[in-house]
Amino acid sequence: MLDTIPHETDIVVGIPSFNNARTISHVVRAAVAGLQKYFPQFRAVIINSDGGSTDGTRETVLNTPAEDAGILFLPTPMFPLHRLSMPYHGIPGKGSAFRMIFGMARDMRARACVLLDADLRSVTPEWIDMLLRPVLFGRYDFVAPYYRRHKYDGTITNSIVYPLTRALYGKRVRQPIGGDFGVSIRLVERYLKRDDWETDVARYGIDIWMTTIALAEGYHVCQSFLGAKIHDAKDPGADLSAMLQQVVGSVFTLMREYGGVWQRVQGSEDVEMFGFRFEVGLEPVPVNVRRMLDHFEQACADLKDVWALALRRETLAEILKLRAPAAEGSAQFHLPDELWARTIYEFAHSSRERGVERGQLLRSLTPLYMARVASFVLETESVNSADVEEKIESLCRTFEELKPYLVQLWTGKSAAPAQAASPPEASKLEVKAHD
Amino acid sequence: MIEALRLILRTTLDRLWEQAVNYLPSILASVIILAVAWLIAALMRFLVLRLFRGAAIDRFLRTSGLNSVTGGVFSLGATRLAAAVCFWGVLLVGVMTALSTLNSALIARLTEQAVMLLPKLVTAAIIVLGGLWLGQYLSRSALIWACNQRLPSAHNLAGLVRIAVVFLSVVVAADHLNFARGVFLSAFVICLAGIVLAISLSAGLGRHDMLNWLSRRESRPEETGREWSLWNHL
Repeated sequence: MLDTIPHETDIVVGIPSFNNARTISHVVRAAVAGLQKYFPQFRAVIINSDGGSTDGTRETVLNTPAEDAGILFLPTPMFPLHRLSMPYHGIPGKGSAFRMIFGMARDMRARACVLLDADLRSVTPEWIDMLLRPVLFGRYDFVAPYYRRHKYDGTITNSIVYPLTRALYGKRVRQPIGGDFGVSIRLVERYLKRDDWETDVARYGIDIWMTTIALAEGYHVCQSFLGAKIHDAKDPGADLSAMLQQVVGSVFTLMREYGGVWQRVQGSEDVEMFGFRFEVGLEPVPVNVRRMLDHFEQACADLKDVWALALRRETLAEILKLRAPAAEGSAQFHLPDELWARTIYEFAHSSRERGVERGQLLRSLTPLYMARVASFVLETESVNSADVEEKIESLCRTFEELKPYLVQLWTGKSAAPAQAASPPEASKLEVKAHD
Repeated sequence: MIEALRLILRTTLDRLWEQAVNYLPSILASVIILAVAWLIAALMRFLVLRLFRGAAIDRFLRTSGLNSVTGGVFSLGATRLAAAVCFWGVLLVGVMTALSTLNSALIARLTEQAVMLLPKLVTAAIIVLGGLWLGQYLSRSALIWACNQRLPSAHNLAGLVRIAVVFLSVVVAADHLNFARGVFLSAFVICLAGIVLAISLSAGLGRHDMLNWLSRRESRPEETGREWSLWNHL
């Protein structure tokens, strides 16, 4: 339990935090036990990068006692395990916290870095093993998490980020914004060399930014099965539209940078996955479909002019047709996969075209996202996890089938928004290999 | 009698002829200057149209959001606008030059005043244009925010924001031009005071309704148990 800064280390475990005194103790204990149990031969440092907590988070990190080595059958560590807790500077957000952790990992000449959310309730010592081992003993630079989640959990992931990232970069990373990652020092150095840390990356855009760079720049990426992901009930203190803007905005921003990469990609392929897979009991996630549909119905009246800046006439007309079933609260409300994929692609294209209005466009996506989630919930009310996964798989295939439409929009070989243009029919597009 | 009448008529006609002879060259010169100015203006309009189409001006205006400055009332085509400004600018200079050839003191004074006023007019126009753009941008932001917060009358709120910003820009422009400064300032102060009074009254009279509405909003999650955490989205 030292708070001096070691000059060199092999492993850095980074825990970004902000007022997480209630849960961070468990995360630290799991990290300490994981390092002692699975990597006793390595020098390791746990770094807590804090955003100015006032509830004693930092003190908790430094004072949390380690698990009894006897109880956990831990081997005798060869090196002392250091713990550091310090505030980061810059834009408040998870990304800025990661930046400090990465900087320290590089300065300490670490070989690998593991990142864990501070409010995890389900983290175990095995997570450290699963996230580190592919980097330390395999050839991997980036280990993405693979969780078992409730069917209504991770809705931005399931409805936008996973299908879009998979269609763009051709790799099936199931939890691209999972939040818990293992990263090689080679990739850490690459992250630190970039100059876009002061953007949405500083906040909730960091996860997809890390994943996208790893995928687009050809780093070796794998996934590790971690079991259930259960967060603290405390909300992250943001509003949904800002969160959506930061996450989706980061995907769209990187699409500009890596246009030459994703335009060449066709279809998608599995990414290697490690770990013993098992079923877990999951906490049910309460959803209020009526509220989502009300939101969408109100937005159809208020935001149709804003949507017209992003969407083509046909797409907008199809979306506005859903207003009546939404207003009736009909269980038949259905936002088809093909329409949703087209909506996301057209927003991606417009957010590139309309620089100043980009933030507004992304925020106006919130009610549409709500409509999509409501549609998904209604479709899967009485469906089990496997079938839900099949639904998500089907959405991903639609995104991939419609990718030529995105390329067509992006390369400017079609009319501008709100002009008459014929979006492609999914059935007419050639479906490339889904291996 | 007839002789006297003839004399008066002849004198008048002679004077008219003399004036016509005196002014005709100037008028002819004015007409020629106007014609040349029109030709130059048309040429400039043609060149600007060609030039702007080649450059990415329309794209710049689209990405900057300036093309939606008028909120869709009419489309602000950058190329057409720049061409029109060039055309009318050159024509205006031509008209002023043409008028100055008439050597009239009144026209000279008017021309001088116009020249003096021109920079102020341009500045005022920029202020109003900026106000229109800002009003449009902020009203749209307010609209999206209100809609995402699921506030009632999001459109009215957005309209209010837009009117306030545009009105403020008009007041600033009028003040810059020294045009009905007192009237605009008074109107602005009265409106501002009215808005503050309306907000105070509505906060006072409608607080019960507002509290009920807020408590209904807050209690909705209870219908389904615990709240859907934001983490569940990621």
